[in-house]
Amino acid sequence: MTDTSMTGFAGADEQPLLDVADLRTTFHTAVGPLVAVDGVDWSLRPGARLGVVGESGSGKSVMSRSIMRLLPKSRVTSTGSVLFDGIDMMSLGRRELLDMWGPQLAMVFQDPLGSLNPVMKIGKQVGEGLRVHRDLSARAARAAALDLLEEVGIPEPHRRIDEYPHQLSGGMRQRIVIAIALACSPRLLIADEPTTALDVTVQAQILDLLETQRAERDMSLVLITHDLGVVAGRTDEVIVMYAGRIVERAPTATLFGNMRMPYTEALFRSIPKVTDDSHARLEIIGGQPPRMTDLPTGCKFAPRCKYAQELCVAEEPALIEAPAAADSNDGGARRRGTWRDDDLDDDDNDGGAPAGAHLYRCFYPVGTPEAAEAFERNVASGRVSEAGVVIRAS
Amino acid sequence: MAGSGNAHLRSDALLRAQDLVVEFPAAGGRKVYAVSGVSLDLMEGETLGLVGESGCGKSTTGRAILQLPSPTSGSVQVAGQELTELDPDAMREVRPRLQMIYQDPISSLNPRRRVRDIIAEPLFIALENVTRRTAMATWQERIGGLLQTLLERLAIPMRIVGLAASVAFALWILSEAVEERAAEPWLGWTEVPAAIIGFPALAIALAVAAVGLVLGLTWVLLALMLPFSLMSRQFGEVSAPVGIAGVVVTTGASGFMLWRTWSSFGGWAKWVNSGGLGLLTAVLVVWLAASIANPERAGASGVATTLSAMVVLQVFYVAGLDAGVKLIVLVVSIVVDTLLLRWVLRRYRANRNAARERAEPRVREVLEYVGINPDDAMDRRPWEFSGGQAQRLSIARALVSVPQVIICDEPVSSLDVSVQAQILNLLEDLKNLMGLTLVFIAHDLAVVKNVSDRVAVMYLGKLCEVSEPDAMFDEPAHPYTEMLLAAIPQPDPEAELGSGRIDGELPSPMDPPSGCRFRTRCPHAAQRCADEEPEMREIAPGRFVACHTPLIGETAPERVEIASAGRGAS
Repeated sequence: MTDTSMTGFAGADEQPLLDVADLRTTFHTAVGPLVAVDGVDWSLRPGARLGVVGESGSGKSVMSRSIMRLLPKSRVTSTGSVLFDGIDMMSLGRRELLDMWGPQLAMVFQDPLGSLNPVMKIGKQVGEGLRVHRDLSARAARAAALDLLEEVGIPEPHRRIDEYPHQLSGGMRQRIVIAIALACSPRLLIADEPTTALDVTVQAQILDLLETQRAERDMSLVLITHDLGVVAGRTDEVIVMYAGRIVERAPTATLFGNMRMPYTEALFRSIPKVTDDSHARLEIIGGQPPRMTDLPTGCKFAPRCKYAQELCVAEEPALIEAPAAADSNDGGARRRGTWRDDDLDDDDNDGGAPAGAHLYRCFYPVGTPEAAEAFERNVASGRVSEAGVVIRAS
Repeated sequence: MAGSGNAHLRSDALLRAQDLVVEFPAAGGRKVYAVSGVSLDLMEGETLGLVGESGCGKSTTGRAILQLPSPTSGSVQVAGQELTELDPDAMREVRPRLQMIYQDPISSLNPRRRVRDIIAEPLFIALENVTRRTAMATWQERIGGLLQTLLERLAIPMRIVGLAASVAFALWILSEAVEERAAEPWLGWTEVPAAIIGFPALAIALAVAAVGLVLGLTWVLLALMLPFSLMSRQFGEVSAPVGIAGVVVTTGASGFMLWRTWSSFGGWAKWVNSGGLGLLTAVLVVWLAASIANPERAGASGVATTLSAMVVLQVFYVAGLDAGVKLIVLVVSIVVDTLLLRWVLRRYRANRNAARERAEPRVREVLEYVGINPDDAMDRRPWEFSGGQAQRLSIARALVSVPQVIICDEPVSSLDVSVQAQILNLLEDLKNLMGLTLVFIAHDLAVVKNVSDRVAVMYLGKLCEVSEPDAMFDEPAHPYTEMLLAAIPQPDPEAELGSGRIDGELPSPMDPPSGCRFRTRCPHAAQRCADEEPEMREIAPGRFVACHTPLIGETAPERVEIASAGRGAS
């Protein structure tokens, strides 16, 4: 947490490194169009860290691939604008993209074994980008690869450089993938679930590695994950996605201190925490994520939401900004690892007012009297249980 | 840490695994020491959490308890019954009481089968065992049972032999044999009906087979078996030169035997015509009988395979006949074969449907327990479900035979957080409802804490710490437990990150460190840790640790090197 006071939200005075506007990605499937990413807007300041959180199928990976232009051409269309340092990514041709991938944007994928070439020595894979983009000789690329391996914490890099991916453990492989991504010193690194396939201890090591490398190289980082715990201490701003939309976007401390979107709250509460007693009942999100080819008309989360009212089902709420006064960061006052409704009531503004807006997409934001009333009504009508689980969809 | 000892075991436990050792052979005559002396026990209705990094042997331990495979040494007792000494049949009878839930729900469910069959499968196996046990009442039934067992046992080898034989003979000898036979027909009138029904009776086949032929076949079988038995039996533990020499010698010997058999009959064509055909047919007849006796096991496709192999054999029978007779024989035999196949298939389907109907109420019941609507789900296939629902199906399959112990091997690791919460709550509910006894294997301590009554931390094939979860998580006694705790990502931006404190990787289990296995990554390691392996001992009531310098008690070193990051409440 080197620079918590800064946020990933690009201020008016600063040119954003990446500006995504109204990005919409549609898959044309046999059962009709599937809008995997639906009108996403965000921007990222140079050197900032953005977390993207959502369940499987929320469109977070498709969004990152749309930005990188990694999706296949057939049966997929992306519209909107993606400006990387003023360059419109959407208009680039194949050759221009090849020049962008590596020195400008790089990506780390979830499955390290699947993203490495199994029949190519590690050194060669790490040095490949350098040979292409920097025109290095084989010898120079090897020397650079050796340095990179050392930087990403591979023990005995001299020996490892001539090994194949299968000879390494999962954590080591992910370090290699990171070394490849870092080789050409990209200005933006997108890490798509970089630690999901890994153990907790290795996960901590890899996240630390990403953070130190990001700080050293002054790189921007987009960290995509389904685990709120992963983004908590390691990002400046967080986007929460549901059914292809941004449902909440806020500076990290604000988000965790003052959640407004019922989905974020539900996601947060469903995480088992070490600080809870053993056998503590976990709060679950009832129901299933919506089928992407058959989305509900109103708020996409309404069928699973404990606050949902008729309005939510009829009309989709817009992404609106939270009033600044209510958006206090009271993190210092509350107990670690726990979050309670009453935290929202004490409006102490001692937490250092964050820059960057807090956006959410809800008619009955969490912590407001309206939401409490809505919840009461739902319990009374039998739609939601006392524990806040949706019994029957509205 | 990471030591041996049994101080933490209790009396009157439902499951007790003692000094489990699992070793796997590796290349170059080395060994992987996957589990080295782990002792665990479980009281009835208790959940034991087994935590550790990947490669620490936690899954291997879970599987060793279920004898999948049996541990290299050590004992596993369930309700006083020793599992490691059971023969395969007795073990199969115990299996319904011990079930497993796997990490990846989609790949642990057969994608080609319907949900109703997948869930009912353990019931069929359990029922089959029960009927076989009760059917042993009278001596006639006992012989019937033995015969059935024999036929079942023979089913797979017979299928292999039958297929291999039909293909080999058809391709290699067909023309030769048919030619010789056409020149010198000796098919008598007694053999015509046999040819018509597609397979001669066992008696005819035996009569045709001369004593010399039986001898010859023994030679052939021996020749075929020898290299196989040598290769399959612990080839991994023999060094490479010895193994290769063994294969060369036995292959040479079997080649010689095959050649002797061939020359003693004056060629394969003669062998076929002088009774080999009858013997081959006999083999197929026995196999067909076996598949009809137990169609569920043989499967419809197995029956069909045999019948088609028999059609190939008919070519030999009709080769010497007049063209007109040949046509009639072929047409009639095709009709007979088709009718026979239909009959077998109908019998097979009837059996399957009856079994399905018997199992249906129970399948519905467990599906409802795990929160899946039986009417929607019964006739769908596993890949039509999401990960969380598929994991519910795995749980239903484990529950259906009313097990005493369920081993859950990372059941929520591949699921989204929200789905993970649903599955964890479900397990908790089922435990309260049915009094399940669970072994819960996971690498996420928060998850383990949530479900467990007792937690055992494993490192590189050894136990580090065994304790109640709340005490362990408030104040870890083992440096490794503390390191694991520091690694958990906290959903709290102000939680201190465990940065830089989680060093190193698991050493190779082929070459584990001396003394305490954790010493290479332990911040408190001293000379004693390298020389002497720590024994499991009770350092506080209910807290068992295998460490020379546990983090709680008078001798505790200062808790500075691994800060208590992430353990917010402590």
